[in-house]
Order: sequence, then C-alpha cells, then structure tokens
Amino acid sequence: MPQLGVSVVEGTVVAWSLAVGDEVAADQSLCEIDTDKIVTDIPSPAAGTLTEILVPVGETVEVGTVLARIAVDASAAGQAQLRAGPESAPPTRAHAGPSAGARASSSPPARSTSVQDAAAPPALSASMPVAPGPRYSPVVQRIAAEHGVNLSLVAGTGRGGRVRKQDVLAVAAAYEPRNADRSLHTETPYRPEDEPEPAGQLSRMRRAIGAHMKRSLDTAATCTTWMEADMSRVEAARRRAKASALLGVTALPIVARCAIEALAEHPALNATLEGERYTRHDAVHLGVAVSLGEDGLIVPVIRDAQTLSVEQLGLAIRDLARRARSGGLAPDDVRGGTFTVTNPGQFGSLMATPVINQPQVAILDLEAIVKRPIVVSSDDGTDDDMIAIRPQTILGLSWDHRALDGAQAAQFLAAVRRRLEHWDVRG
Amino acid sequence: MAVMTYLEAISDALREELRADERVLVMGEDVGAFGGAFKVTDGFVEEFGEARVMDTPLAEAAIVGTAVGAAVVGMRPVCEMQFADFVACGFDQLVNVAGKTHYRFGLAVPLVVRLPSGGGFSGGPFHSQSPEAWFMHAPGIKVLAPSTPADAKGLLTAAIRDPNPVVFLEHKHLYRRINGEVPAGTYETPMTARIAREGSDLTVIAYGAMVHAALEATEPEQLDCASVEILDLRSLVPLDDAAILASVAKTSKVVIVDEANETCAPGAQVAALIADRAFEHLDGPVRRVATPDVPIPFSPPLEQAVLPSVERIREACRELLEY
Amino acid sequence: MQTAGPVAADAPAGAPDRPGPSNHLTPADQAALLRAMLLMRAIEARALTLYRQGRVPGSFYDGFGQEAVSVGAAFAMGPRDRLCPLHRDLGAHLVRGVEPVRILAQYMGRESGVTGGRDGNVHFGDASLGVVGMVSMLPDMMCVATGMAMAFKLRGEQRVALTWFGDGATSRGDFHEAMNWAGVQRLPVVFVLENNQYAYSTPLGKQFAVDPVERARVYGFPGVTVDGNDAEAVFEAVRIARERALAGEGPTLVEAVTMRMHGHAAHDDMRYVPPALLAAWAQRDPIERQERRMAALGVDVAALRAEIDAVVEAAAAEALAAPMPDPATAAEGVFAVGEAQPLGDGRAPWSWFASDPAADRAVPTGSAANGNGAGRGTAR
Repeated sequence: MPQLGVSVVEGTVVAWSLAVGDEVAADQSLCEIDTDKIVTDIPSPAAGTLTEILVPVGETVEVGTVLARIAVDASAAGQAQLRAGPESAPPTRAHAGPSAGARASSSPPARSTSVQDAAAPPALSASMPVAPGPRYSPVVQRIAAEHGVNLSLVAGTGRGGRVRKQDVLAVAAAYEPRNADRSLHTETPYRPEDEPEPAGQLSRMRRAIGAHMKRSLDTAATCTTWMEADMSRVEAARRRAKASALLGVTALPIVARCAIEALAEHPALNATLEGERYTRHDAVHLGVAVSLGEDGLIVPVIRDAQTLSVEQLGLAIRDLARRARSGGLAPDDVRGGTFTVTNPGQFGSLMATPVINQPQVAILDLEAIVKRPIVVSSDDGTDDDMIAIRPQTILGLSWDHRALDGAQAAQFLAAVRRRLEHWDVRG
Repeated sequence: MAVMTYLEAISDALREELRADERVLVMGEDVGAFGGAFKVTDGFVEEFGEARVMDTPLAEAAIVGTAVGAAVVGMRPVCEMQFADFVACGFDQLVNVAGKTHYRFGLAVPLVVRLPSGGGFSGGPFHSQSPEAWFMHAPGIKVLAPSTPADAKGLLTAAIRDPNPVVFLEHKHLYRRINGEVPAGTYETPMTARIAREGSDLTVIAYGAMVHAALEATEPEQLDCASVEILDLRSLVPLDDAAILASVAKTSKVVIVDEANETCAPGAQVAALIADRAFEHLDGPVRRVATPDVPIPFSPPLEQAVLPSVERIREACRELLEY
Repeated sequence: MQTAGPVAADAPAGAPDRPGPSNHLTPADQAALLRAMLLMRAIEARALTLYRQGRVPGSFYDGFGQEAVSVGAAFAMGPRDRLCPLHRDLGAHLVRGVEPVRILAQYMGRESGVTGGRDGNVHFGDASLGVVGMVSMLPDMMCVATGMAMAFKLRGEQRVALTWFGDGATSRGDFHEAMNWAGVQRLPVVFVLENNQYAYSTPLGKQFAVDPVERARVYGFPGVTVDGNDAEAVFEAVRIARERALAGEGPTLVEAVTMRMHGHAAHDDMRYVPPALLAAWAQRDPIERQERRMAALGVDVAALRAEIDAVVEAAAAEALAAPMPDPATAAEGVFAVGEAQPLGDGRAPWSWFASDPAADRAVPTGSAANGNGAGRGTAR
C-alpha cells in the first residue's frame, strides 16, 4: 500500500484488475485503491506473473502493507512485492566528501554527550548521609575530590551554612599534600613532638590541623566525661594472644570492639551533626587515630567496623596505620567516619580532653593502662573490702552537648567499661 | 584611532565598505535623501549616489526579497529595517528564502539586515523590541549584537563580508549615548564573545545595551568588593560556547541578562548550554534577569518596570554571590 | 490590453493550425519547443507512476497541460538571464539544461538529485544554470526576481529576470510589493502569471475581484494576456517583454491563460472542477498543438516521442539505482563558507542567441565545464 500523499495512512482496495496467475507488464494497472482523498490505480512495479493477492476487495490496510506478490521470473530468486516506501531504494552510500566548489560543509560541532569532558566526576563521599536533595554543589564536590578535602570538615559560609566554592578552596589551599594521592585529616590534640619550624612560623600542615581543631571547638559544645575501667581481663587476653600472632599488641582493638558493641546499645553516639542536619547511623565507620610522627596525626576509617571481630579490627588498624605512615591512604580511607577512637596512651598520659572529629558527635580516648591499687569487694557478700592491684585505665569520652547530654555519655562509657571488665579472657 | 559614538561607528563601517566594494548596496526606507531615520546614512547619497543608497518603497518583504535577488547575482545588499520591530513584515523572506537557500541549493545569499532595536525611551510596543531570538531560531541566519562602537564597526564589516544572511542588531539607545575608541580604516571583529570585565566570583552574561547595565550594576564597591566578570556575547549565531563555558568554569556562578522577552530569549539558550555542559562547575543555580513576556509599554514608569534595570541586575548578583 | 499575435485558442480543435504566432522561431526552434514539452510531460508521467509505486516520498505536483507556459517563456531567455520557476514549470529547468536523471533523482530524494535530498519535488533550482529554486510561500520569488532585475539595472547590464506565479499567489502581499517595486524602479523583470483557473480548489471567482493582468497598469506597466497553451505564443509574448525590459522600458506582466489538467497534487482528484471544463481544455492540449505544427513541417513526431520516452526510461532506471543521501550529512551546509558564488549562466537554446553577434553569449556552462561549483551537484 503506497503512501499516496503526505497525510494518507491507509487505503481500501476497490478492485483488482488481474487475477492470480495472470501475466502482468510493468506499470500495468494492478488494482484500484481508495484513500479518503482520491481513488487511484496502482501500476505494477515489475513485469511477471501475479502469484498472490493478499488483500481482498473491500479491505482497508495501512500504508506499507504488502498487497500482492509478483513472480518476476520463474527462475529468479526474488519476487517483486507491491508495497510502499523508499526502502526499495538502494542503501545509503557513505558521503563522498566535499565536491569541488564553494558549497559549504559546516557540520555541527561534535558535542560530548555528557560531562565526561569536564574534570573527573567527584568521588561522592561514602559518608554522605542519606539526606534528601544535593548538599554539596557539583563544583564543591569536584574540588573536594581533586584536593582530597573531607567536606564534612568544611564549614560553610553560604546561605543556610552551605559550603561554597570558596570555602572548600580555602581548605584545599591550607593543605599541602605529601604526594599526589595523600590526604591528611587530623583531629586529635596530641603530638609526639613538634616539627622543627622556622622561627615564628607554623608549617602549613600545622596550620591546617590547627584550623580543624579550632573549627571543631567552635562548632561543637564539647564536654568530656571520664570513667575508670579495670583492664585485668583485657590484659590477660592480650598475654594469651601474644602467643598467637593475630592480635595486635595493644588493647586498642579490644577497646574498639567494646565501643562498637556499646554503640549498638547507645546509637545516639554513633551520629553526625552537620549544621542542622543530625543523622544516626546504623553502621559504625570507625575512625582510628594514627600518629604520623613529625607529620602529625591522621584518622583513617574502618568501614562497617561492626562486622569485624577483634582480630579483624586489629588487622585493619595495623594495615591502616602502615598505609598511613607510608603515604598509601586514599581520600576515601579518611572520610565517612561515624565515631572515632584515639589511643595516645603509650607515653603514659592518664587523661585527656580529646577534640571531636567533625561532624561526629563523640570521640573515645584510650589512655595508658597503669597498675593501681584499687578497692575490691570480697565475693562472699560481706562488707570486707580489700586492696588489690589492677591494671586500670581512664576512658575519656568527649562529646557534643548539642546532640547528647551527660547521662547518655556516661551510659555509653559504662557500657564500654562493662564489656571491658567482663571481657572473655579466652577472646 | 578615534573616539566616536556607536552610531558613528556603524556609519563608518558602512562608508568604508561602500568605498571598498562596489558590490555593496545600502537599501531601506528613508536612508537616501533623508539620511536615515537615525541619520546613520547621513551624507551617503552625496558620496555614493542614489543607486547605491536606495530609498525603497515601504515594503519590508520586498526590501528583504529583492535583497535576496540582488545577493544571488553578485551584490552585497545591506538592508535597513527602520525599526527592528518591522522586520516581522519581512520575516517570511528572511527566514524562508534567505535562510533556507544555501542548505537546499548550495547558493549563498550574502545579505545584511540592520535592525535598530531595543527600548528605554518610550518607544512603545512597536518601536522597542529586541527580536533577535526569532532569528537565532531560524537555521541559516547569523545574528550579531555589538555593545561598543569598536565592535559595532568591526562586526558590521564582518557581516557585510560574510557569505550568509546576517541580522545585525544595533541598540538604538546606544547610538548616541556611548562613545569609544574605534580603529580607523577597515577591520573585522571576530564573531566571538568578549570579556568586558574580568572577574572571579560571578559571571554576568549579556549583550547589547545590557552589557553597560551589567557593568554599572557590578562595580566592585557596589557589591562588597566582589569580583564580577562581564561576558559580552557580541555574536548570538554563532554563539561562543567556549567562552561561556570557560567563564562559568572560572566563577561557578552566572547571571544572564536579556532585554528581550524572557521566554526563549537568547539567555534561555545560554542557560540551557550551561546546564548541559558546565554542570560540574556550578556552585549555584543559573539565574536570569529578563524583561517579562509583555509588549514594551510606553509610559516611563511602566517601561522602567519591565526592562532589566541596574538595580535588578545588582540584586540578582548579590543574591547569587551570597548563595 | 495588448496581445502577442493571433490568439491560437480560436483555432477549432483538430484543424491544422495557422502558422505560428512568432516570426522569430526557426523550425529547429519550434521542434525544440515541442521536444522540451514532450520531455516535461514524459518525466512527470514517469514520476507520477513512481509516486504511485511509493518511490517518491512526500507529495507530487505536475504541470500537465501547462507545458507551454514554462517551456515557451524559458525559451526566450538568454544565458545570462535569471529565472525563478514554480512547481508546474519543470519545462523551464529542462530548457536551461537540467538533465532528466537529476530531476527524477530529485523527486525520489536521492543524493544525486538537484538538491541532494534537501528539498523535494519541484522545489529545486540549479544555481549553476542561473535558476533560483522556489519556496512554498507564494509568490515570494516575485520579490527575488525583482531584486535580480534591480541589480542588473544598477550595474547597467543587458539582462532580464523572469519569474512565474499562479493566479492564487496574486492574492498575497508579495505580489503587490514586487509589482509595485518593479514598476516604481522600472526594472527589467518579466512576471509570468500562470492563470490555470484554480488555486488548489479555489476558482478565480473566489480569488480576486479584478483580473491581475488588469492591475499591472496600476503599477505602471503593461499587462498582456496570451494563450498559455500555445508555446510559440507564450514565447513571443515573453520575447517582446524581454525586449522592452532591455530597452529600459520596465516590467511586463504576461498572463498565460491555461488549465490545470491534473489535481493540485497527485493526492487531489479535483472533483471540484466541472468535467465539461476539463473536456474543453483537453481539446487544446499544448503538446498536441505543437505536434500538429511540426507534423505539418514534416517532422516525424512519433519518432520524437519514442526518442523522448527512451531518454526518460533510461533516466528513470539510472535514478532508481542511485543511492539515498548519507544521514550523517543532514546538518551540513546550513551556512556558506568563503566567498559567495553568484548564480551561473544557463543554456539558451533559442537559435537567435547563437546567431546574433550582439546577443549575450554564455561562457560554456553545465555540469562538467562549469568549475565555479555554484549550486549543488555540479560536480556529479
């Protein structure tokens, strides 16, 4: 059924001039078609024998429908079909190139279909809480990715506290990466020793750390709560484990494990607060402070730490520390934490007031484990008290009073202590 | 180098081309003996004769249509519509004949249609339009809109020498109100955008008279020392994509100003381009300041209320800077 | 109202014709007129068949019964003159030198068609042969032709522009603007009004209150009516109009009275035309009239027909085998680049142009020899 006019979509067969089996010449009238405009006859596209009539008189078909078949030659392979459309034309020939003369050939500029030609897309922070709507503009994300800036550390000066381009640029400028893929984030106040500095000037890295400390203290309503814990069982477990090469030689993985379990009971401490946005997290992405010697501290993050056993935590901490000291951390390794643990007690300090790692709401500080005389009650229920020597440590928890109160902080610490003091010596 | 007004620069371009190329023909209503409604062609008849500075009948379709005919037999006609608004009467010839001929037949139509456009002086609905978007939308037509005297001369020269139909928008309000240095002799200005002022905090994209409004609106002391870049498009077809994207990449914030009616004004195309190809560089929404979709009213308070003012532009920039 | 010679429409149907109305045509010229009309009809008939077989996309228009208007008028034009034909004026393209294969390829949207598939049916013009293709808005081309004439006059050249348009088109503003402009500037343009009685389904009575040919006077130049079905009469009228123009006397409106024998387009069965009217006009077919003249001069008309049919058949076969355009090129060529090339010169088969030393002679033009590249397809 040919297209007999721009607006024609169908036609009705009015009459067939030939019958099946008849010989037909090229251009001889085959049939009459009625469109809504005109009745017209259809000339045969080829000479041959009419072998099939597919549309009877009175039937209406759409343009493109095969109406009939003609055998062009008894021995020929193909058959001519009466149908519409330029598909009977030879296929397109590739453009032969500009012909001689002034004819213009101004093809439209090749357009990249998406933004791949722009800078590499920002590595969307895995710590980005699931909040509705974009929180960082595309350029801010891109700059953060390029410079390894943890956006959660960047205070925004834009409307409603949003992080503007100049804010992230300022932070990026303050950092001096050690090498191309190194990013440094520091939050704890402790330094083993200071870098040697030219007189009267802090290094850029110092200044960056200082800026973060200051910002955290300016942002959070920082309070610190302490609780003493009896580490006898933990120390016993460590002595046992020393034999096996798996556990690290510090108590940190055990404390971390206890803290993670305590967070499950006290989810208010596994949360982030950014401006007005407060989010509690199901997973515990545990930041662990790692000393870098002269270069300061860095806090890589163990993701989904709640799924790891003590041994696995120990391995993860050791691995992160190793990578941190060799400059092998990626930007993703240092962002997205929901709770941080710091352990500077190796030098003998007993208590501290750690600074919260923004935008988290709490940080747990593990200081030195020191043997002390303590008062223990006898087991038989009498009032007899005795003095015993026990390895003790003072757990410090700095927390943000905007998101928590003292009772919650104390309850959390109590839960950590309880687990430590009932630690299964067998591990 | 001489200092001259925007209007004098346009005259200068025409004069130089009439002298240099005998194929150039100026045609329009009252352009000959009267020297043109705005005196652009004042004195031309005396120098070039009535045949080349032609007073035509009042017939915009025929002005454009005969220009097409003259162009395809080797002339370089420069038509004047007395006001840009009247190009509507010649729209068919311009869009359907001039614009589509080269694509269909490989036959070039080298003509220029000069349009005194824009409002701001109580011209009312039929003497104040900025119709450039109509012709940006028609394939085969180039569209130029200079904002300075130097660019006006250079772009008109380029338009006359271009083998395609070119619509040339001359903002009437700039004719005598701005001066600038204009090189002597002949030169062509490239059909690209120009940075009118460099900046780093925000980009304002504009063309024609709005470039001057934008410059005034964003003087640093007006905006707490913010550094605002002004990009003068100068050429709407071809549109300088690269310059637009580079400026947005630099500042990440953009305000686009149109004196034309907002819907589908040239700025709408610029905004779409930015959203498509500069998304990664944006630190805020793409803002537009445009005349609302109304015929340009006559009475001054009404007209001032609809045309983008210095204050409106400044406020839009301030909001976006703070975002 | 002037007329150009005896109006041959008075001849009774079937009777041998009087000698042709023009004294300026040799027998070879007369044969050339017939040949061009036969070619036009044969191409259009072949194309109509192809259209009904679905090989011609879009719409199909022809000038069946009107062949004399385009052939006769174009025949009077010199190589450096310029033409703006319309959709029933295929004969003009043939006279100027476009080959049948390119026309059939054009109808079928092939790359080797005159527009390379960019426009369809008779919307074409080979710029290298001095022809500007039409637009659908009628009669826009009247203004363009006026402009070409304006340039000729400005430059003091002995050249004329000619355009065709129909009875319906005279109702639109461009008709008035072009006529007025041409009249007030006394331009060397010939306006050929093809009055074929109908604009689609609209008869003359609904189109205008005053016959356009009468209105020419009001614009300051003569309007002439001629038998549009007599190629030699049309030729003569245009020849005279051209002479006037070259002499600086300005435009002429030549009304060629004819009949549109087919529908507005192939999808129109023209049920609104009284069958008696068609029957009457069928007696005055322009080709049959010219055949009678040539037969009287001893020309083997049947052989001529057979020859034309063979030419068209071969052209159709070649066009059918031609490839479609490359889709990747669809957005190319919107803008010209470099120096704008003006229209080139076309064929001018009237013997007078070859014999008269004062006549404008063309630099040999045509597809192979013309290196200026103006117009699509010249290098093919």
